Amino acid sequence: MIRTSYALNKVLTAIARQHLMKERLTDDELAGHALSEEERRALKSGDIVGLYRLGANPYLIRRVFRPRFTI
Amino acid sequence: MAEIVAALLTSHAPLITGKPEIGKPEQRDRLYAGFHELRRRLAATRPDLIVMFVNDHLQNFAYNNLPAFCVGLADAYDAPSAGGARLMRLAPRKIPGAPDWSMALLEQALAAGIDFAYSYEIESWDELSVPLHFLTPEGGVPIAPVYTNCGAPPLPTPRRCHEVGAFVGDFVRSRPATERIALVATGGVSHWVGTPETGRINPDWDHRVLDHIARADIEPLLDWSWAEIERDGGNGGQEIRNWLALLGAVPGWKGEVLAYEPVAEWITGCATVWVRP
Repeated sequence: MIRTSYALNKVLTAIARQHLMKERLTDDELAGHALSEEERRALKSGDIVGLYRLGANPYLIRRVFRPRFTI
Repeated sequence: MAEIVAALLTSHAPLITGKPEIGKPEQRDRLYAGFHELRRRLAATRPDLIVMFVNDHLQNFAYNNLPAFCVGLADAYDAPSAGGARLMRLAPRKIPGAPDWSMALLEQALAAGIDFAYSYEIESWDELSVPLHFLTPEGGVPIAPVYTNCGAPPLPTPRRCHEVGAFVGDFVRSRPATERIALVATGGVSHWVGTPETGRINPDWDHRVLDHIARADIEPLLDWSWAEIERDGGNGGQEIRNWLALLGAVPGWKGEVLAYEPVAEWITGCATVWVRP
C-alpha cells in the first residue's frame, strides 16, 4: 500500500509550481491547510526524511527542500 | 502508411544541463557524445514530427487530478519555462506542438478503448527540455507528447504502458505515407530522487534493463511490479515506463546503447540508446 498525504502534497505542489526553494516553511505558508501536527512539524523543520515517511511525494520534497539535500 | 523513421531512448535529469561542471569530465563527455550522436542520426532521418513518451513531475498533474496517460494538445510547450530554465540552465523556449495530429491520436485511441486524458497546456520540466536541448537544439521539429504517470503512484503497469505504446505505433502506421515520424522516450534509468536514498544509482539494474532492450527481449520487464522497480531502480527507475511504451510501438526493434554512465553528481544512471529494426 502506497502512503500518500494529500495535505502534504497540496502544500508542496503550490510552492514547487512557483519554482521556489525552501529550507523550511512558515506558519503563513501553511495557513488554511488541513495538516496533522506531525505533518506541520515536518514542513516547518524541513525534515525531508520525515516528510517522505509521512507520504509526501519525493519529487516534491526534492523540488521544495532542495537546499536540505547534500547531493 | 507513414514511416517510423527513428526511435531513441534517453535519460532526463535537470543536472545534465544544470550543473555540467560537477560531473566527472570523462563521464560527461561520453554521455554528451551519446546525445550528440543521437542528434546526428535523428537529423539524418529528417523527421516531420517527434512523438515523445515522457512523464510529468507534479508540475502539471497534481494530486487533485492525475491521469495515468495524457495526450498533449497544446500549440506549443514550455521546454523549459522561465522558472524551470534557471535550474536547468537552459534558455526558456517554446517547442511547437502538433495539435491536429495529437487530436487524431486522441480520437482514435478513445474509439479503440485507450482512455487517454488530454491537456491543452503543459509546462515541461526536464522530461522535454533536457533531451530536446541536445536532440533538436534549433527547436524546429514539432512534438506530440504522450505523458504517462511515472512519478505519483499508484502507476499504470509496465505492460499497460507497452500496450498503449503499441497503439501509438499502430496509429502512426495508419497515417498518410508522407509523414516521417520519430519516436523519443525519456526518463530512467535507475535513480533515487527526494527519497531517503537520494543519490543512489544501481548500475547492475541499469545494465539489466539495457541488455534486455539490446536483445529486444522486453517481455520480462513488462511483469515487473512497482515495488520491484522501486527497490532496484528507485522512484526515478519507474520512468522506464516511457521506454517500454516506445518499445511497444516498434515490436522487435533492438536498442544500441551509445552511452551509459552512472553519474553520481547528477544522481542518475544516464543512458542514450538508438533503437532500430
